[in-house]
Amino acid sequence: MDPLLYVFDLIVFIGIFSIVSLSLNLEFGFAGLANFGKVAFFLIGAYTYALLSQVGVPFYLCLVAGALISAIFGLVISLPALRLREDYLAIAILAFGEILRLIVKSEDWLAGGDWGVTVSPAISLVGASHRVDALINIALVYLCLFICFLVVQLLTNSPYGRVVRAIREDEVAAEALGKDKSKYKAQALMLGSAMTGIAGGLYAQYLQCVLPGMFMPMITFTVWIMVLLGGPANNWGALLGACLVEIFDRGTNIAKDYLTLPIDPSNLQYILFGALIIVVLLYRPQGLLKETQVRTKAMEMVRRGRSAVRNKGS
Amino acid sequence: MEEALLGIREVSKHFGGVYAVNGVSLDIKSGSIWGLVGPNGSGKTTLFNTVFGIHRPDEGAIYFNGNCISNLAPHQIYALGLVNAFQIPRLFSKLTVLDNMLVAARGHQGDGLLNSLFLRKSWQEQEAELADKAMEILELLELDHLALSSAGELSGGQRKLLEIGRGLMASPTLLLLDEPAAGVNPNLGRRIFEGIERLRQTMGLSFFIIEHRLEILFDFAHWVYVMDRGKIVIEGKPEEVVAAPVFYQVYLGE
Repeated sequence: MDPLLYVFDLIVFIGIFSIVSLSLNLEFGFAGLANFGKVAFFLIGAYTYALLSQVGVPFYLCLVAGALISAIFGLVISLPALRLREDYLAIAILAFGEILRLIVKSEDWLAGGDWGVTVSPAISLVGASHRVDALINIALVYLCLFICFLVVQLLTNSPYGRVVRAIREDEVAAEALGKDKSKYKAQALMLGSAMTGIAGGLYAQYLQCVLPGMFMPMITFTVWIMVLLGGPANNWGALLGACLVEIFDRGTNIAKDYLTLPIDPSNLQYILFGALIIVVLLYRPQGLLKETQVRTKAMEMVRRGRSAVRNKGS
Repeated sequence: MEEALLGIREVSKHFGGVYAVNGVSLDIKSGSIWGLVGPNGSGKTTLFNTVFGIHRPDEGAIYFNGNCISNLAPHQIYALGLVNAFQIPRLFSKLTVLDNMLVAARGHQGDGLLNSLFLRKSWQEQEAELADKAMEILELLELDHLALSSAGELSGGQRKLLEIGRGLMASPTLLLLDEPAAGVNPNLGRRIFEGIERLRQTMGLSFFIIEHRLEILFDFAHWVYVMDRGKIVIEGKPEEVVAAPVFYQVYLGE
């Protein structure tokens, strides 16, 4: 295989999973929602994209529809889920993801069952080489990533982001200060799901197919590792985590071909992921990058004001 | 007689078989400082929590500004201008002191998702005004130099002050304070009450305060309720309460 194509492929994967990682960071890092059903929304986005593009809907509308339908599912699941305690929420959403996967797997009429659906690429130039195709994909994925990053970056450095973080820190106190916690949590889950839906659509069109086997719970856990490793409540951390985990994933995939081990080498990756997460949680629970403060005009003012006061004092 | 700002009517709250609050009725009128004292376990904090919607009253009704608030959630009661500062501070530890203050602001345009994302100009000015206001309150509480530190780094007394500061930040009509002078040094305890008195005079705020430091409270309160075993046993001006024998019985158990 063309080594450059391999690198391009890696870049596309990093881009797609960066979007998912950013969205989980919004839900978990900032809003404190333990969403263990990321793959469900990823699946919804991918299947929405696949089914709509089959009937000839243009790719950008497929992406938007994937985001919207994911968001609606996010809202629907938030209604019962947000009444649950954090750990039960995690279990409930985890089950939701598996149920959804089994539904698309067994209901052949819906999306081809086990055979899945083939998807045509979003933009195909006549006579373009694989490399050009890959570059087009990179451009598309990173445009979406840029928009998503802008959205979360603006949101988390705004009064909204402040309230969401406050709810994460202490729900009772946030409610006592007039914040409707259910509304904020539902919004965060909706927005996170919408972003994951976009990533799912990009995934479907890049791989040019959707199969139930592509949406195993391991995807959810991989994204969790990205967020925990990079640093919850830091958007740059989410990007860094996605980058490192994808490279690690590829690295172990290549390494296992050259290693003789007493165990099945394809399990090596899972073992190392498990070890990695334990090491991170034990020795650097805040992740590689620390939580960033809420950067707004208020903070800038006070920062400037403080230095002014200090100068006066001296 | 003017209508009461806060009216508590025959309110009871029990946990299992224990009546923490047992048929309490009282009135809080606008523009004054009201005290609530009584021995530990007499139901003062439960009464506050019931007023503020953290507990629902089992019996009775609570009115604020003419609205029945017995069945409202805390955030709805807050929106009406009745704000509570917790006895044990519940700060947002990883947020800065300044952000802790700003979260408490009432009616911030930027709190909404869409406003925060798309209408950023609509709340920039308000954000700046609120930052000014937050810094003024923090100066009063001698916390201004810590504005950009995490709330989790504060000492016990400073946490207490920030909890009160957050309550003030909401510009409430009535502020419930649960032991504002507990756990801070004696001078500061008195200065907090002086600050409260100043806010009452300048901004017309009303306060309903639980406090064990009677020597401070009685210098500032206009009217004091004494609670024992879930009931109001005596009420009156501080000097009247101090002179009443039942007050000593309640406190000293004679």
